Amino acid sequence: MGSTVATRRPAAAEHLPEGSPPGSGPGGPAAPRRGHRDNLAGYLFMSPWITGFLLLTAGPMAASLYFAFTDYNLFDAPRWVGLGNFTEMFADARWRHSVSVTLWYVIIGTPLKLAAALGVALLLSQQRRGQAFYRAAFYAPSLIGASVSIAIVWKAIFSDDAIVDRVQRGLFGMDVGGWIGDPDWIIYSLVALTVWQFGAPMVIFLAGLKQVPRSLYEAAEVDGAGPLRRFWNITLPMISPVLFFNVLLETIHSFQIFGSAYILGGAGGTCGPADATLVYTCYLYVQGFENSRMGLASAMAWMLLLAVGLVTAVLFWSQKRWVHYEEASR
Amino acid sequence: MPTSGSVDRRGLLKIAGGSLAALGLTAAGCGSGSGSGDGTVTIRYAWWGSDDRAKRINETIALFEKKYPKIKVKTDFQPYLDFWKKFNTQASGGNPPDVFQNAIGFLRKYDAKNVLLDLNAQVKAGHLSMDGFRAGLETFGEVDGKLLGVPVGSNSMALVIDEKVFRKAGVSPKPGWTWDDFDAALAKIRDTTGRAGDSGGYGVMYLYDLYLRQHGKAFFTTDALGFTEADLKEWWTKGYAGVKSGLYSDPKKVAQVRPKSALAAEIAGCEFTWDNFTVRYTSEGKSEYGLAPIPTTDGKKTGQYLGSLMLSGSKRTKHPKEVAQFIDFMVHDPEVAKIMGYDRGVPATVAQNEAFQPTDQVGKDIAAYEKQLVDTGVLEPITPHPAGADVAESAFLRLAEELALGTRSVDDAVKQFFTESKTAIGF
Repeated sequence: MGSTVATRRPAAAEHLPEGSPPGSGPGGPAAPRRGHRDNLAGYLFMSPWITGFLLLTAGPMAASLYFAFTDYNLFDAPRWVGLGNFTEMFADARWRHSVSVTLWYVIIGTPLKLAAALGVALLLSQQRRGQAFYRAAFYAPSLIGASVSIAIVWKAIFSDDAIVDRVQRGLFGMDVGGWIGDPDWIIYSLVALTVWQFGAPMVIFLAGLKQVPRSLYEAAEVDGAGPLRRFWNITLPMISPVLFFNVLLETIHSFQIFGSAYILGGAGGTCGPADATLVYTCYLYVQGFENSRMGLASAMAWMLLLAVGLVTAVLFWSQKRWVHYEEASR
Repeated sequence: MPTSGSVDRRGLLKIAGGSLAALGLTAAGCGSGSGSGDGTVTIRYAWWGSDDRAKRINETIALFEKKYPKIKVKTDFQPYLDFWKKFNTQASGGNPPDVFQNAIGFLRKYDAKNVLLDLNAQVKAGHLSMDGFRAGLETFGEVDGKLLGVPVGSNSMALVIDEKVFRKAGVSPKPGWTWDDFDAALAKIRDTTGRAGDSGGYGVMYLYDLYLRQHGKAFFTTDALGFTEADLKEWWTKGYAGVKSGLYSDPKKVAQVRPKSALAAEIAGCEFTWDNFTVRYTSEGKSEYGLAPIPTTDGKKTGQYLGSLMLSGSKRTKHPKEVAQFIDFMVHDPEVAKIMGYDRGVPATVAQNEAFQPTDQVGKDIAAYEKQLVDTGVLEPITPHPAGADVAESAFLRLAEELALGTRSVDDAVKQFFTESKTAIGF
């Protein structure tokens, strides 16, 4: 608000009639000049960001929006095809497959990850010895988890005759082999990898849990409420804003999964055996960089943006029903 | 504190000045590197391959720079698939490497996109000699009269076998053996050693190409596929039956061991691939690996031809002369052959081929194999690879795997392959 006022001032000063006495401007004598200088300084300080935004975000986005309606192979000039890319996309069985793989991953992976995060946050919110160590230990995977090396390690763990396979056979007598080569199982190793990286939502949950007033629990205990009841009727409603935030963030995050799926799946035109880990961005990458179809890839990217936008809108709409803000902040 | 502060500031200024000067110097150095200045030129050389190849290539470059002190070579390498992604992006951005490794499947693709330098002018100017190549190889990189690539080595499709497994099963492949003999051999290996015979030849595009050529067809024509849906249906139906009966390796296991080959991982007795890959298997696996002939339909024709890695120049290079000199050195200098060995196949020129006499068993096998191809006269000219051939190849491999895994029916895979190839090649 303040900046808008400041921007208007110099303009107003310019419209003052010539020779009007100093100090008759709306902002007092020195105000117009200082405002101008403030703005300049402000823009100057912002310029690296503005430049970066225009060159690296807004520009490419505009270009990509244009390419989405063209046939563009990077070499020849883009050829306008209207909605051609979109109709091709919907008709492509492999594209529909990538959509279903991604949706499956989001629907299964996200709740599991959030449940793990909340569960561990509940344990860690209690006062006990070595608490700082445990928090750090549980948070660590999400710091390193996005790296390529972890995806490679993961691949090794879930291969034939590796740890997972041996445990399966030794403890449960299940002879299903490693998960990596199996089109029905490999997606679970991907889900396991994302669940393992629950550190970031966990930290947010921890902060949320700290905010719940102890007096509420004490009152409930006096009334004879057990731990489950206290969790259901006090903890959950009280942290629902934090829960909403995490659901939103993790859902968006899950839609954009790429690195781990690409590496776990073996890369190179195939994303997992029989395209089992062909998540949306993986297919987008294949179309763009392997098949040189940048127009189609751009159209796919905008489709993803639309889908994520839609899901976000639905989540925001649904929050009225289950997210409770304190009266004061309403 | 204030005094020391001001001193520090002055000191800082000095350092800043010094580093600015240093920057200026480096900039000057760079300038002379890529431009003229003292006449030194830097060219960028990109290729794909393994660390072992990197060591060899660096040695050859050191040799080149010694002989041509005015030319510096900067290298860049990646595994095969990553190489082409990076190259594609660089080339579209107008910044491709000056000289790079190339293969037949990409010639028409990048020629159509105006990326490849026609080296004919350099041959005329005497910077590059196209004499002394082994039979048929001098025209290998020609497309529509343009010289777009110069072969560095030749290779041919072969059946790489695990010798121990074949001995145990009592199978000894001979030139002219048929596909029925081959299937019988796979069954024998499965029954006597408990190991699947082949790792999945039904997905190898270059093998199917040979099979088609044995029947008077080919995988590609200049602008389309050279076979029908019914042809492919027959090939994949047989492949799928082979997977089900254990003649071919369990595709799940093959996927698990990737990027290691199924043959080296001991889940198959043999694998169809390029003959120079024996070098790779020997370093990857524990067994002994040898070369066997391609099975035939009529007892004679294998459909084989020489394939090759090439060196190509970029059309946008500022130093076409130096690029030509570099390629010339790499394909003709005998020392280069001694360093590279059979890493990129049998050297393309007679001089280089004579300079390198393999002393190890693998090298000797490859030499003997290619000699036998020439002696038996099975070699034929190569068929064209249209633009989009690379995309069709990866679709072929992927769909064959889906079919083997049972996630797609044969009919469905065939239909999907034709759809994707049509889009990629544009027919």
